Amino acid sequence: MAPQLVRTLSAQFTDTFLKRSESSLNSMVDLRCISKYPWRFGEVNFKQPTWRYWGEEKCPGAIYTVYLKKVRYHSPSKSIINVSGGESDDDISHLEWETVRVRFIKAGSLEKLVGSLASEVGELESTYVNVFLATYRTFASPKQVLNLLLERYDELRNPNSPMREAMRDQNRKTLRQSIHVWLDQYPEDFQEPPNYPCLTQLESFTSRVMPDSELDQKVHRKGDLIRRSAKGGPHCSNAAGSTLKCSPLINQLLSTSTMPTAPEFNVKSPPSASNGKGYHHPQYHYTNLIPSRHPSAGNLTTTNHGIIPPYSDFLEIPETIFAQQLTRMDYELFKRVIPHQCLGSVWSRRDKGRDRDCVSVVATVEQFNAVCYRVISAILMEPEAKSSARAKIISKWVDIAQELRVLKNFSSLKAIISGLQTNPVYRLKKAWSHLPRDKLETFEELARIFSEDNNALAQRELLVREGTARFADTVGENDHHLQKVLQKHSENSRAISYGTIPYLGTFLTDLTMIDTAIPDTTEGLINFDKRRKEFEVLAQIKLLQGAAKAYHIDGQPRFSQWWDSVLVLDEREAFELSCQIEPNLNSGISGGGSAASKDNKYKRKANSLGGFHRKNDSIASTGSSSASSQLTGEHAEQQPSMCQSASSSDILSQSDPMPDHQQSRNGARSKSHSALSSASSNSSLPSMDASLASSGNNTTSKSEPLGASTPLKGSSASTKSLGDHGSESKATSRSMSKTSVASSGSATDSPYRTSEFYIIRVSIEEAGPETEGVIMYKSIMIGNHEKTKEVIRSAMMKHGLEGSPENYTLSQVLPDKELLIPEKANVYYAISTQHDLNFTLREKSEDLNTVGGTVSRDSLGLGGEGTPRGSRRPPRDNSKARRKLLGLVL
Amino acid sequence: MREYKIVVLGSGGVGKSALTVQFVQGIFVEKYDPTIEDSYRKQVEVDNHQCMLEILDTAGTEQFTAMRDLYMKNGQGFVLVYSITAQSTFNDLQDLREQILRVKDTEDVPMVLVGNKCDLEEERVVGKDQGLNLASQFSNCSFMETSAKAKIGVKDIFFDLVRQINRRTPDNPQKKKKKRCVLL
Repeated sequence: MAPQLVRTLSAQFTDTFLKRSESSLNSMVDLRCISKYPWRFGEVNFKQPTWRYWGEEKCPGAIYTVYLKKVRYHSPSKSIINVSGGESDDDISHLEWETVRVRFIKAGSLEKLVGSLASEVGELESTYVNVFLATYRTFASPKQVLNLLLERYDELRNPNSPMREAMRDQNRKTLRQSIHVWLDQYPEDFQEPPNYPCLTQLESFTSRVMPDSELDQKVHRKGDLIRRSAKGGPHCSNAAGSTLKCSPLINQLLSTSTMPTAPEFNVKSPPSASNGKGYHHPQYHYTNLIPSRHPSAGNLTTTNHGIIPPYSDFLEIPETIFAQQLTRMDYELFKRVIPHQCLGSVWSRRDKGRDRDCVSVVATVEQFNAVCYRVISAILMEPEAKSSARAKIISKWVDIAQELRVLKNFSSLKAIISGLQTNPVYRLKKAWSHLPRDKLETFEELARIFSEDNNALAQRELLVREGTARFADTVGENDHHLQKVLQKHSENSRAISYGTIPYLGTFLTDLTMIDTAIPDTTEGLINFDKRRKEFEVLAQIKLLQGAAKAYHIDGQPRFSQWWDSVLVLDEREAFELSCQIEPNLNSGISGGGSAASKDNKYKRKANSLGGFHRKNDSIASTGSSSASSQLTGEHAEQQPSMCQSASSSDILSQSDPMPDHQQSRNGARSKSHSALSSASSNSSLPSMDASLASSGNNTTSKSEPLGASTPLKGSSASTKSLGDHGSESKATSRSMSKTSVASSGSATDSPYRTSEFYIIRVSIEEAGPETEGVIMYKSIMIGNHEKTKEVIRSAMMKHGLEGSPENYTLSQVLPDKELLIPEKANVYYAISTQHDLNFTLREKSEDLNTVGGTVSRDSLGLGGEGTPRGSRRPPRDNSKARRKLLGLVL
Repeated sequence: MREYKIVVLGSGGVGKSALTVQFVQGIFVEKYDPTIEDSYRKQVEVDNHQCMLEILDTAGTEQFTAMRDLYMKNGQGFVLVYSITAQSTFNDLQDLREQILRVKDTEDVPMVLVGNKCDLEEERVVGKDQGLNLASQFSNCSFMETSAKAKIGVKDIFFDLVRQINRRTPDNPQKKKKKRCVLL
């Protein structure tokens, strides 16, 4: 079945896009008919009895795999037989089967791969076109492919070609079709502002070669669209995502794609530059702040014209609404996921400017994390609440998760299940013990879906069965609760069909593994079998994206506002808060040694205050300054207790000058706003220390630059931590991440910071007396492609040094030592980003005499436009010089 | 046969997946399929005992930060990987280790610190001594430098972990059944 099906499916893809009727994707083949392993479509299933592996064929520039395939002759149709009077000897005597040779390109040069878009008889290889276009970016640029396509087209127009006229016609037609598919499926390849080289080239080609043909018209139409979308022109009919509010990254994604905004209730993040600390208020664009009194409970299709106050409490939001709104957010992101951005070579290799290249994937990941962290904070946020109250919140999350299962939203479902199983939540044994038994069992049933056992088999199989099914109907034998729920649901609403939103992580892992395990080239040729393998996964994603169109959920602004207002804790904060709620009895790791005693205190206090509900008011307060006066009144009461509990547990206040709730809000924001926070951390770097720092006389001492720069961070905690060098680097990096990067929880995600560059400060180490106690830093921007030599060269230029970069070494100044950057390193990755990015440029000792004298003051003015001319002399007024430099760095 | 659940952790780009694939597959194979049940299972003989290793590799999902606790909860032994060519990947491990200890609620967790890509000597920025120091700073943690590409030391990681697990919890037929949701 498989190969034929693959072809059918691919043909459908192609046809669909040729017809420009994307909606027909919905009706595409149900995944369950693609055998047990749907990932295999796109590849020949070698076990099919009608297919037999024959061998390999080689020719210059290509290796083919050849199969023999049994095909059935077109026997006379039944009706004719019937008419002719039933069975006759003829039916048996003629040959029913024939064996044909089929070859697939296994590996080839780029030219051969492009050439293979047409079959041996010149027809479009629809499977191949899809595989090629989905994966070619791993081995060629759009420009290269376009060039080859157009060259080939020109060749085929040449009447002197040895090929027959009809054949040339057919081949040209195939090339045109390929371009059609390309434009329809991957318009982003042509999105290259400001000059649009590929688009321009294609436009002039079609105008010249086939003016007013179907393709020519399409190219120009698409071209207009592409250019207009870059300018942010509205041209998309889908308004469902208008209230979608996520991180700047997601916003960026939405704004660069085809998303109009509905200003009346859009919640916007200000651009990251608006404040330097990753801290910002969402601005509610309400035209009218008078709260409406109409309760909107449960009405999914509320038209958004009435103005309704945001939910003030997590428990107040009906679980169906909650699940639907999560699904809406996930769908908006999922449909924008560009499958080839998930490819291992794009997503998991860091040396290819990944952040820009996989923005659609990063956005999905951020949303997933955002859900997880909201689970955690909703459960922990009121440290003094009773365990039974906490159990209610857990129970509510289980209800929401169950609704998500019905909706087949496996992304947020997994996020919630993971959130409930994070350590800070999971360890709250008392709270869990208050959870009703049936909820606990439901939770366990849902958690089983995502078991990692057997390579996440449960989840994979579920996706096969339900991926493109209309509604959820699969349960395990022991899933009694889910059985009931799904049954009940299907009785009520057989008419409703849902899409599916998968957990993207499984695909990302699979693609990473494929990329790792299978070589890019074989025998010097591009290994196209690897791309087929990758396409199996990409096609799966595409198929689900098509199926997801079945969701029709409207946005609900009051939900979005609640969502945005939730304060999010980082991992450490969450853990400490958790220890405060239920002290850790077993070990000293908790870090909340004092939390135990405080715990009782808070319990008592909570009892005397008599209540836990309204728990999210204090959270919401920091976010919305707009809500009703009734709400703000409550904030005012809640605020002090919030602050108190926070600061007494010592988790939110370390080394930060901001008020507690602001600081934690900062943390909250930046959590889901890594783009913003990392950007601001970059831009704030130069201001965090002064570029000129007086460091006494011995400027050559290795530790001096550090001593001079670190205290300037101005936080007492970090200064103190410098004193005792026991775990100093730790402490320093903490305080730094608090202030600038706003604590991304654990540092493991640091390579993924969305910055594509770092700003480092480089000082020169000079033995000469002329520096007179002044260290001068120059700030240099390093991108993720720069090798040591290039960085040294730009540092030399900024410092006005002449000579060869090879005569210098570059070292990062760390608290306890220097890190020498090797000559061939990629500096962007080599450096330690947990510390200040201070570097020393040092002449190699043996070259001291030859290069030493080449510092030319004259060249200073030319070196970098921002360099103050006189800065090499000791400035009389240090602070003035500092100001001057601050204004001018970069 | 005793089963061992091993979790491979570390920043993106350190070559985690290459270590896993190298160990599980041995050689790079063209018909590799990462989606089938036993893609990450391998039977090995360690000290005359047959062991079934199930390896959970977080490659590709490092950024789903909130899921790490779950991996850690389910793992028995941990491979912490950094790349000797990228300092920050080394620095990241301290926090990862702390997180593991928190989740496991003990100081004593079977663990191997791995400096990968040791074939790229000319790009090295993390010295071997740094790795050794960090490992000794973590109590009871082995250290090794490996290269998945050059096939250096890959098996040793997993063998060492198995031995560590055996030492801490000698084969005990009534070993705790790994159930996800023991809450009561």
